[in-house]
Amino acid sequence: MKWQRTTASMAAACVTALIWAAIALTPGRAAGAHVVHAQPPDDGEWTMPGKDYASTRYSGLSQITPDNAAHLHPVWTFSTGVLGGHEGQPLVVHNTMYVVTPYPNTLYAFDLSKPDYPLEWKYRPAVSPNAVGVACCDAVNRGAFYADGKIVYNLLDGHTVAVDAVSGKQLWLTTIADVSNGETTPMAPFVVKNRVLVGASGGEFGIHGWVKGLDLQTGHVAWTGYNIGPDSELLAKPGQFKPFYDHAANLGASTWPNNAWQTGGAPVWGWMSYDSTLDLVYYGTGNPSPYNPEQRAGDNKWTTSVMARRPEDGSLVWAYQFTPHDSWDFDAAAEMVLADLRIDGKVRKVLVHFDKNGFAYTIDRATGQVLVAQPFVQENWAKHIDLETGRPVVDSSKLTGASRGNVKDICPTLEGGKSPNSPVAYSPRTHLFYVSTSNMCMDYQAVPAARIRGTPYIGANSPYYPGAGGYMGAFEAWDAAVGRKVWEIKERYPVWSGVVATASDVVFYGTLDGYLRAVDARTGKILWSFKVGSGIVGNPITYRGPDGKQYVAVYAGIGGDWFLLAGDVRSDDPADVRAPADFVKDLARHTSRGGLVWIFAL
Amino acid sequence: MTRTTTLGLPAAAVVFILAAACRGTHADAARAQRDAPPAVRYPSHISAGGTAPRGAALANPYAGDSVAAAGGAALFTAMNCDGCHGGGGTGWVGPSLDDGRWRYGGTAGEIYMSIYYGRREGMPAFGGAMPSNGIWKLVTYLQSLQPPNDVPTESWK
Repeated sequence: MKWQRTTASMAAACVTALIWAAIALTPGRAAGAHVVHAQPPDDGEWTMPGKDYASTRYSGLSQITPDNAAHLHPVWTFSTGVLGGHEGQPLVVHNTMYVVTPYPNTLYAFDLSKPDYPLEWKYRPAVSPNAVGVACCDAVNRGAFYADGKIVYNLLDGHTVAVDAVSGKQLWLTTIADVSNGETTPMAPFVVKNRVLVGASGGEFGIHGWVKGLDLQTGHVAWTGYNIGPDSELLAKPGQFKPFYDHAANLGASTWPNNAWQTGGAPVWGWMSYDSTLDLVYYGTGNPSPYNPEQRAGDNKWTTSVMARRPEDGSLVWAYQFTPHDSWDFDAAAEMVLADLRIDGKVRKVLVHFDKNGFAYTIDRATGQVLVAQPFVQENWAKHIDLETGRPVVDSSKLTGASRGNVKDICPTLEGGKSPNSPVAYSPRTHLFYVSTSNMCMDYQAVPAARIRGTPYIGANSPYYPGAGGYMGAFEAWDAAVGRKVWEIKERYPVWSGVVATASDVVFYGTLDGYLRAVDARTGKILWSFKVGSGIVGNPITYRGPDGKQYVAVYAGIGGDWFLLAGDVRSDDPADVRAPADFVKDLARHTSRGGLVWIFAL
Repeated sequence: MTRTTTLGLPAAAVVFILAAACRGTHADAARAQRDAPPAVRYPSHISAGGTAPRGAALANPYAGDSVAAAGGAALFTAMNCDGCHGGGGTGWVGPSLDDGRWRYGGTAGEIYMSIYYGRREGMPAFGGAMPSNGIWKLVTYLQSLQPPNDVPTESWK
C-alpha cells in the first residue's frame, strides 16, 4: 500500500476542485422544486459499501459525462478464480483496490499506483466449506468496510475478520454466528465510530435473528440485539423504544404463538446506514420462518421491518414493520437510503426503502412515520399502504397458508420487486433514486414445515413467471418525494445489480446477461453498454485513480439466487447437471458463471 | 428464496410417516449395527497398486421396493432434504440428485454413507437423526428417480 501523495494525485485533487467549482457555479441543472445542497468535493475513494453513511452510492466525480460516456473502454480485468455469485463491490482506499471474493472469501489488495495494478498481497482465511451448503442462496459475500486502517469483512462461516489495510495481516477474528444452527454471514459489516455492526442470514433455517456490535479495535462482541423476542432481548428499553405506530410492550414476542419467535427468522443480510445527527443506525430485517404463515399466527414483529438503533450500545429507538404477518417471504433486507427531500413544501429528513413487497417507502427517519408509500413495480398483494396505521391493506385472496392450497398469481415474487442484493443510488442533483427492478409473479403453495436443527425450515413451493408486459426487469428512476416513476429502461431479464450515480448525471447498472450500462440520469437514455463475460449481480463503483482520471469498476459473476433459479448457468460440476428454469429457459444461452473484476475509463 | 417440495402433506400425515419410518425396533438396531461403518468406496477412487482396500459391503434391504421408495419420498420432504436439493431432488443450493450423476458415488451403499455421515459443503449427517431403515428408504427413493435423457447437451433451437 502506498500512502504518499504523489504529484499526480495532487494534480488530480486540483483538477477535481476546479471541476467541482464549475459544477457548483453552473446554474439550472438541479431540479428547481427540490432542495439544493452544497456538496463537498468528492474524495475520489470508495471506503464503504454504500459510498457514504447515507448509502447514496453517489459520487461527486464528473469526468465521465453523458457526452463522452460512449468512449468508455476496459482498462483492466482480473479473474478472482472463484465461480460463486459476485455480489457486493470493491473498495478503493489510498490508491489500493480491495476485492473480497465469494466463498472462500479471499481478500485481494491491488496497487492502483503502478502499471498493471499488481497484487500487493492476498489474505486467504480458513473458511469452513460447510457454510456453502447452509447459505440459502449461493456462497456470496456483499463486501468489506474500511475503517481506521483496517479492512473489516465477514467470512461466510460465521466470522468477522479485521485485516491490516497496508500489510494484509489478520488483526482479529471473531466468531459471531453458528453455521450448525443455520446461520451464515454474507453481509458486509458496517462500522460506526468504534463499533462494527454485523448480522446473520438464515431466514430459511429458522434462526433467531440478531445484530451484534463488535469493538473495532479488538473484535470483542459488545452487545447483541435480537430482532424478535421480548423487549429485553431486543435491547428495547422502557421509555427509549418508541415506534410510531405500535406502542405495546414485548410485541416481538406477543405477536407470535407459543414462543415461535425463538425459531422465527428475522435475519440481517442487507445493508446499513447511519445518521450522525440522530445517532441512529438503520437496517432491515428479513422474513419470518417458516414460509408457511399458518405456523405463526400474528404480526411476527419485528420481521420484515426497519430497525433504528444506537450504535454504541445497540439500544432500539424505533421500528416499523413493512409486511405484518408476511405470507410471501418479503424480506425487508434492502438498504435504507438517507436523504433530505421536500415533501408537501417542507424539507423532511427521510429514509427511502424499496421493499421486496413492491412498495417504495419514504419514512421520517427520526420517528418512523411513513410519509409516502407507492408501488414501484406491478404488485397485487396489497391495495395500498394506509398512512394512518402504517399497515398494508391486503387483498385477502392473495394470503397464503397450508390450508389455502396453491395461491396463484401473486406479484411481485419472493425475489422482490427489487432484490435487496441490488442497492439503489440517490443523486442529490436530480433528487431521483435509481432502482434495479424485477417484473415477475408467482404461485405460492405453503406446506407444513418441521424444524430440524441444521436443516432448512421453509414450507412453500413458489414457481415464478414473467409479469405483464413481456419483460422481466427494468431499471427505473423514482421520485421518492411524491412516489412516482420518472422513467424506466425495460430489460429482458430481472435487473439484479446495484447502481452508482455521479455528479455528471451519469448512472451505471448491470444486467443479468452481462452488460454494464451507462445511462443519462435525467432522461434514461442508454449512453454505453459493454458485455463483461458473466451476468452482473454486483454493484458498480466509481473512483479517482492516482493519475487523476475517473474510473468505473464492477464485478462480473452471475450467482446468488440465480445459482438456484438458473442452475444451468454453471458448468463446473460434472455431477450436478440441471435443466433450465421454466421462466428463464434461455439465460444460459447468454451467460455462465465466472468471477471477474473489471475497470473502465475514458 | 423459492422452494420446491414434492408433497404437500398435512402436518399430521408428516408426523405419522416420520413415526412409521423412524420407529426403532430391535431388528432395526441390529441391522444398523451390522451396517455401520463400512468402507467408503466409489468409482472415482483410484486404488494404489490396483487393489481396492477391504471394506464391509452394504446392501439395501429395500432394493427395488416401490412402497419403501414412496416412504423415502415422504421422508425426503419431512426431513427437509428438499429444502436444499429441491422438490424431486432436481437441485437447488445442494446438487441435483435426479441427474444420474453423483459426487460421492451412486451405489446404494455410497448414497447411504452420504446421508449417514453427511458430506462437505454443508450436507448434514442424518445418522444421528434417523434410523438405518429410514436412510435406506431415502436411498431407495433416490435410486428410483429417472435421470432425464437430454442432460449432456443443451440446445436452444
